[in-house]
Formats: sequence, structure tokens, C-alpha cells
Amino acid sequence: MPDLKNIIKGCLAGNRRDQELLYRRHASRLYAICLQYSGNDEEARDVLQEGFIKIFENLVHYKNEGSFEGWMRRIIVNTALEKFRSRNHLYRVDDIDLLPESESEPYNEHYTGLEAIDLLEIIRDLPPKYRMVFNLFAIEGYSHKEISKMINISEGTSKSNLSRARAILQRKVNLFTGIQKQIVNGY
Amino acid sequence: MDTSGANIDLLFRNGLKDLEVLPPIGAWANIRPVIRKKAGPFLFLRSAAMIAVLLSLSVIVYRYNRELQVSAENLMPAMNELSEQMLASNPAPPVLAFRENRRRETVPRREQAVINETVQLAENIISTDETGFPPATDNFSYSELISPPGRVSALYMTDIIRFSGTKEINDAESYVDNGKERSPRWSLSALASPIYYNGFAASGDDLSQQLMASEQARVSYSGGVGFAYKLSKKLSIQSGIYYASVGQEVAGISSYAGFQRYDYTKGDANFRVLTSSGTIYTNNSDVFLIDRSADRVLTAYTNDVFDPVKSELDYMNSSLQQSFSYIEMPVIIRYKLLNRVIDFNLIGGLSYNLLVNNSVYTTSDAGRLAVGKTEGLNPFTISSSLGMGMEYNFSDKISFNLEPTFRYYLNPFTNVPGLRTHPYSFGIFSGLSYRF
Repeated sequence: MPDLKNIIKGCLAGNRRDQELLYRRHASRLYAICLQYSGNDEEARDVLQEGFIKIFENLVHYKNEGSFEGWMRRIIVNTALEKFRSRNHLYRVDDIDLLPESESEPYNEHYTGLEAIDLLEIIRDLPPKYRMVFNLFAIEGYSHKEISKMINISEGTSKSNLSRARAILQRKVNLFTGIQKQIVNGY
Repeated sequence: MDTSGANIDLLFRNGLKDLEVLPPIGAWANIRPVIRKKAGPFLFLRSAAMIAVLLSLSVIVYRYNRELQVSAENLMPAMNELSEQMLASNPAPPVLAFRENRRRETVPRREQAVINETVQLAENIISTDETGFPPATDNFSYSELISPPGRVSALYMTDIIRFSGTKEINDAESYVDNGKERSPRWSLSALASPIYYNGFAASGDDLSQQLMASEQARVSYSGGVGFAYKLSKKLSIQSGIYYASVGQEVAGISSYAGFQRYDYTKGDANFRVLTSSGTIYTNNSDVFLIDRSADRVLTAYTNDVFDPVKSELDYMNSSLQQSFSYIEMPVIIRYKLLNRVIDFNLIGGLSYNLLVNNSVYTTSDAGRLAVGKTEGLNPFTISSSLGMGMEYNFSDKISFNLEPTFRYYLNPFTNVPGLRTHPYSFGIFSGLSYRF
């Protein structure tokens, strides 16, 4: 099996087989990220395809410093961000602002029954702006200042979006685990 | 301290960390092949190829010249022997005459000097009496007239048929002088060439280098008329007027048509695109531009306020074409390396180039769509040129010219601060010239 360095070398030379090999190795991990940032499968597929084109185009700039997967992940996230910005004007404001505030339910440490795929479904159900802020802050580790510049909102809005996103997620997680408990206890 | 938020973050971060989902079937098929442009090595190879061509031609010319000299030198012993034999077998007065020379108008200066010296030598040695006979002396040798071999080799040996005394020698002298006067000094030529045009950034100019990584030269052309004046047997000066159309392709900029119905601005350029040649300003309000891989497009219609796909604009192309036209006035010096049926010349000089037109457009199957203009171009540039000219003479008046020429622009192509791109071009000019 060819190692990553040889695959990258082949991709740089424009070798289509090596490009496909790179895709096959990393597509499933990167597609999960695309789904995490996208509201529907079609959009996720677009992000994956555009992201891979950018990866191939920018491979020459990869300096072998740090994780290659991390470098690819950043490109995919940036592609998702561009897609979000291009569609931002299409998202209805009432999708976000008219949602009810979450009741302050305490965090339950016994959310062990949740699978990764369940978490993905929960996060994808978030309104686009909440989802984007939550992903950038909680998963990628950007600050509110950085997020405000990335998606052209104020820091206050970023904080507020994050807070609402957390509340929705918490409510859904509690609901999910509650249902599970009922199933386990035979209610 | 509210830790519930942080905990829910942690839950999702850890939970999604290693998640993998198989992408839909067919996703790979829609990822177009990406072929990276290797600007650096490609530039090196092109330059190396051009130098190799010029060196090869020089070597060919040199070897051809050497072979002619060697073959002439090899003729010497045979000619000397022949002369002695003629003298022994025929005691009649030797006669020297020059056969009618079909190349009389192109006798090089060095050969004339040798002829003159030889004639002078003959006059000194042979003091003929009234009968035309040489004096009866043992010191005289015909081989002395012809020797030394190295010098006489420059003569057209086959032209020396017989010796006929002073009269013919004088004729030969006058023939040489008259030939010099008849040589045409002016020539008019018409030349054209496809041109491979490209540029490279000055060292340390990272911005130009980045921009040029996504730009590709396209084949351009140049043509015009020129006139030349012969300063001497080997040296001539040439000028004229040429028209050149050059250009490049800017990749990665997607263009769409049908934007006019969404454009509420009046007058100003909706989009600006930074290129290594200058900044493209759109003047067609129906055009929408987007750069999906970098940030070269400056516009108010950014991704977050307008989506050309959602708005159902007509996709045109993923690249823009920049086209520049110049009127060129070269001042070229030609040095003749070899004067034969095919002449070889070394060509070098400067050209003064005036920008007369620049346009930017995009193409699709439906045709060409004007986009705008490139601003910031230097309206006046100076280029240096170096080349090797081959000239095949059909007749005394008309010849066919073939001139591989390399050009380098001395001043930057653009006056935009921060960009220092020096273009170069390579073309093989061909055409006819008429001497008068």
C-alpha cells in the first residue's frame, strides 16, 4: 500500500489514480465533517467535492508541518464556511430568533447512550447560523471574535447564537436520553 | 460557574471526533481532475530549450564554416602540383584570368584583401616585357604565387584557370572594386511569427509569484514590415513597425452571464480581479465573477450576499482571457556570421512598444463575452531581443528569412505597486525580404 508521501507526490504530479487513492482514504472522515456543517446531504456532497478540488489545488502549499488530516479538515471547514456565506442571505431570520429559549435543564453526565451518528443528527437539526457558530466554537475552537469576522456577525450575536445552540442541543440530548431511560425501565 | 455549556461542547466534540460516514456513490466522479501548473520548472525548461536551439545553430554555423576552410586547404597540395605540371608541360606564357564569378557581388572583404595582396605579389614577381613573357629567372615559381597555402585558401581556387599577365590582373582588381559598388545596401522585409509569451516575477515579489501560479500564457502572434540598411559587409541596422497581440489566461475565476437583472449599481466596476499584469475592472454589468479558490476578486457581491447558482445565472467559464496589443518599433543590429547561399546572422537590439489596446473577455460554447479592461499596465515598454537569423537567397534581390528570437521586457509590465512582472517571449519569425 503506498504511503501518504508517495500519494501526495503523485497528486502533485497530477496523477488521477493517486488523487482517487487520497480521496478513498479520507473521504469518509471528511464527509462526516461536511454533514456536520450542512443542513442536507446535497449540500454536504457539494462541500466534499469542492473541498477535495481545493485540496488537490493547494497540495503544493502543504509544508509537511502538522497533521495532514488536520490540514485537509481546515480546507473542508473553510469550504463549508464559504458555502454558508453564499447562502446566508437565504436563511430566514425567524428560523433563528423566534425559537423558544431553552429551559435551563441541568446537564446530565449519564448521556452515555448517545452514538456519534445520533449526535450528528442532533447537530444537523440546528438552524444554520446556530449550527455554524456551535461548530466553529465548540468543535473547531475558534473564539467569538474570530467567528464574528468569519461569518460577518457581531461578537454579541455569536455568543447569543452559541448559547441558544447549546440550549437546543441540551434539550434534545435530554429528550433523547429520557426516551432511552423509558425504554430501559420498561415504561 | 455554569459548566453545562462546556460539557455539552465536550460531548459533541468527543462524540464526533472519529465519526466516519461513507460519501454518496458518484461523489468522486464529480470531482474534476486537477493538474497543477509547474511554473518554475516549466520556465526553466523553456529557457533551456531556447538556449539549446541558439547554441545548436551557432555550432552548426561554426562547423560548416570550418569544413569549408579545411576542404579548401586540402585542395592546396593538389593545386600546387597541378601548377607545376602545367608549367613543365606548357612553356607558353602563363595566363591568369578569373572566371566569370557568379558570386562577384558577395566577395568578402578578407578575400578581397588576399586577392589584392596576391595581385601585388604577382606584379612584383612577374615584371613582364612587351611580349607578355615573364623574365627568364630561376627565382620565379608559380607555387610562390599561390603560396602560402593558408592565405590562398581564401581564394576561389577553381577560379584560377590561367595566367594572362598584368592586363587581366588589373581587370580582376577593377572587377572587385566594381562589385563592391554594385552591392545593394537597402532591404525591405515582411515578417510574422506566432509568439510564446510569458512572464516571471522579480525575485522577492511573492504576490506576483502567487498570482502567476494560476496564470497561463496563450499563443500570441506578431508581424509587420521592416527595412534594413547595410553598414558594411557584415553589419546592418534594421528597424520597422510591427503589430503584436499577446495575452494570458487567468484560471480559477468563474464567470457568469445574466447578472444585469440583479445589478443595481450604475457606472462603477462591479468586480475587480487582481492579476500579475494589473487589475481587471469589469465594465460589462451583465458579468458576475467569483474566485472559489482564492481572494483575487474584489466586489460588493461577495459569497454571503449573492449566490450565482441560486440566482440561476448562466455559467460561462472558469477562466478569463487577457489580451494586449502593441505597436512595436525595433532597432536591431544584424551581424553576418556566414555569407553563403544560406546566410546566418546574429540579431540583437531593442524594441520600443506602445500599448494600443487591452481587453478582457471570457468564452463559452455560445461565444465570447466582453468582461472589461486591465488597468495599471505600462503604456510604454522597452524590450531587448536576441536571435539567430537564417537567410536563404532565392536570387540577388529576394531572400527567405527565418529568425528564432527571444525577447525580454526590460521594464515591468505593470505599474501597480507591489507587482514586478517582467514578461518574455519567444517567436520564430519568417518572411521575405527584398534588396535594392
